[in-house]
Amino acid sequence: MTIVLVTGAGGFLGPSVVERLLTRSDLIIRCMVRSSVSLRLQQLVSRHPDRIEIVPGNLLSATHITGVLRDVDTVFHLAAGLRGSPADIFLNTVVASKQLLSAISDVNSVRRVVLISSFSVYGAATQPKGALIDEEFALDAHPERRDPYSFAKARQEQLFVAAASAQHSFELITVRPGVIYGPGGGGMSTRVGLRLPGMLLHLGRNNLLPLTYVENCAEAVAVAGTQPYPAPHRIVNVHDDDLPSSRRYLNLYRSHVEKLRFLTLPYSATMLLARMVEWYHAYSKGQLPALITPYKAAALWKGNRFSNARLKAMGWRQIVPTRDALMLTFEHLKDSAETPAADAATKLRRSQSTVGLYPHPSPPSLQLAASTDRSCAQ
Amino acid sequence: MSKQLRVAIVGCGKIADAHVEAIQNNPEAVLVGVCDREILMADQLASRFGLSNFYDDCDRMLATERPDVVHITTPPHSHLDLARISLNAGCHLFVEKPVAVDYAHTKALVDAAEAAQRKLTVGYMYLFDAEAVRLRELLHTGVLGDIVHIESFYGYDLQGPYATALLADPKHWVNALPGGLLQNVLDHLLNKIVEFLPEGEVQVQAVPLRRSAAAKADQSGLLVDELRMVMAAGGVSAYATFSANVRPMAHFVRVCGTKNTVKLDITTSTIHFERVPTLPSAVGRLVPPFQQTADSLRGAARNVSRFMRSEFHFFDGLNRLTQQFYRSIANDTEPPIPYSQILRVQLVLDEVIQQIGRAAA
Repeated sequence: MTIVLVTGAGGFLGPSVVERLLTRSDLIIRCMVRSSVSLRLQQLVSRHPDRIEIVPGNLLSATHITGVLRDVDTVFHLAAGLRGSPADIFLNTVVASKQLLSAISDVNSVRRVVLISSFSVYGAATQPKGALIDEEFALDAHPERRDPYSFAKARQEQLFVAAASAQHSFELITVRPGVIYGPGGGGMSTRVGLRLPGMLLHLGRNNLLPLTYVENCAEAVAVAGTQPYPAPHRIVNVHDDDLPSSRRYLNLYRSHVEKLRFLTLPYSATMLLARMVEWYHAYSKGQLPALITPYKAAALWKGNRFSNARLKAMGWRQIVPTRDALMLTFEHLKDSAETPAADAATKLRRSQSTVGLYPHPSPPSLQLAASTDRSCAQ
Repeated sequence: MSKQLRVAIVGCGKIADAHVEAIQNNPEAVLVGVCDREILMADQLASRFGLSNFYDDCDRMLATERPDVVHITTPPHSHLDLARISLNAGCHLFVEKPVAVDYAHTKALVDAAEAAQRKLTVGYMYLFDAEAVRLRELLHTGVLGDIVHIESFYGYDLQGPYATALLADPKHWVNALPGGLLQNVLDHLLNKIVEFLPEGEVQVQAVPLRRSAAAKADQSGLLVDELRMVMAAGGVSAYATFSANVRPMAHFVRVCGTKNTVKLDITTSTIHFERVPTLPSAVGRLVPPFQQTADSLRGAARNVSRFMRSEFHFFDGLNRLTQQFYRSIANDTEPPIPYSQILRVQLVLDEVIQQIGRAAA
């Protein structure tokens, strides 16, 4: 049996990755969680007590990590900072990664690291409208101009590439998901638009949304991480098939979750608004935050095409069809909006259990009614 | 001012962003370097704010950049050592709150600054919000008469991202403070009282309460989600409330005088007067609400005016405190916060923390 480590196993994507790795018969899955163990992870442990180890710990604590890495062959590095101040996001993403890499070089057992990065590292802002984003697409030269998460993910990738080149002791596989969504993942992606009080500023128009349902993304992570040595592909983008446009997504959301009022802005108007916001931010010396700038707007709402050809060439197949995935997510969002927190949590557990019944790799044929997304990566 | 002050920052965590903005928005200063013992953190701050000089060694930064002022924005356990290093390099000090882990360290820090003949201030930023400054000006006019009582209220969100993160991480620096999370916030509550208490010993009585499930389950005994403190000095009393459960989360100070009472609402940046009625009988009850409405409208107008002039920033108090501190350096005048006030806040804070500890035991 081979031991693999999943960092961030208690997060949104983590339990799904653990579940997909369980479908590979020869793996012991060591799960590093920062605080409490989620209910879903507990359920997986109770079903597979001999194959899952739970290890509480903090990547920022060097003493924790070395012990956790003992005899580990592959590290699936999911942990990242998603909330808080820019410094907090950077600390929990980049500095935590530095500690992990230091421990990896100490233990000498790790042969492969699978880094879960993000589409946000690509430099879409400076590329032409409609450009195809694949694994060869240029990286963002100024991620600090986009947002703290993108900046941290770009620096995190640099750190891992440098360590892999310097140490030569492990093989680095970088997985770049688009927008990860699903029950429990959160609200609408900013690629659709900006939520204002009582309405949505719809900025995505007819742009394709690079969505990946949490189970499908988890399967991609498992496929990428279990390629034979040496891996034929070191970088892989992850998004599902049948991507909806922003407009279609919004229509489905309005049909299945809430009758959200919206105003669609053409791209030229979005850029004008972004310039005004940026100008006022500078003029007022930061009295209002620069929520959108021309750079951010171009990165998010200019419009791109996407390719998951490499992912498919690696053997990935979409487990949950996009329509079903949207419906499951929308159902959860609707329940969350309508029911008290405790009831919503119960329904989340139910929907996650349902998702967990999907066989691998053949797709399901559930007839469900709902739709939406939530971004985690990207 | 003849030349710009050269300013450096040590500690590139969350609050450092606010200090960078306060320095960069001040034409009397130039930010010459940032430092963090984790070079990645120094790098990220420099990258996001377009700075070219970042360091992981404080001595090297001080020797290379030769700053006039150092802002210390690290966790409080390191403040005293970094202060001594900076003072030895001839720098004035802006130290973030909590100023130190306890009174002894705070006293040592103040003494070190005085011995080096350098100036020191602490990040009690709410005392320098526009309306807080106006409140002080009003008090000097004697409109309240003699101060009889002060009430300070500070609401807190234990479910917020900051509190959630640090409560989940036993090794977070806040949890290493003698008073834990409370020590990190109580100075906001106490510094608004201590300023108005006459000189002399402050009597303190703290009443900790544990209302939420998280507080009841806490093993350390320091996680208190409701705290009441009664204080008295020189015939003036004070009452302080820390609450993690009251909503909305209020943040105010109310100063009661022999002539009138005034409430400073930090959250809305407004001042409310409670006047002695001057008209008799029923008319005397009719008029005050109109006066209060007029006060509110004037406060709203002042805030709109500040917003239009781009003077309504979230860290307005920090900007003003920074400016006043730099001017005290340039003009060699008293720093904006008297050292006696800094020491007294810490003294009261230590006593409150000790009483909470005794209650838990």
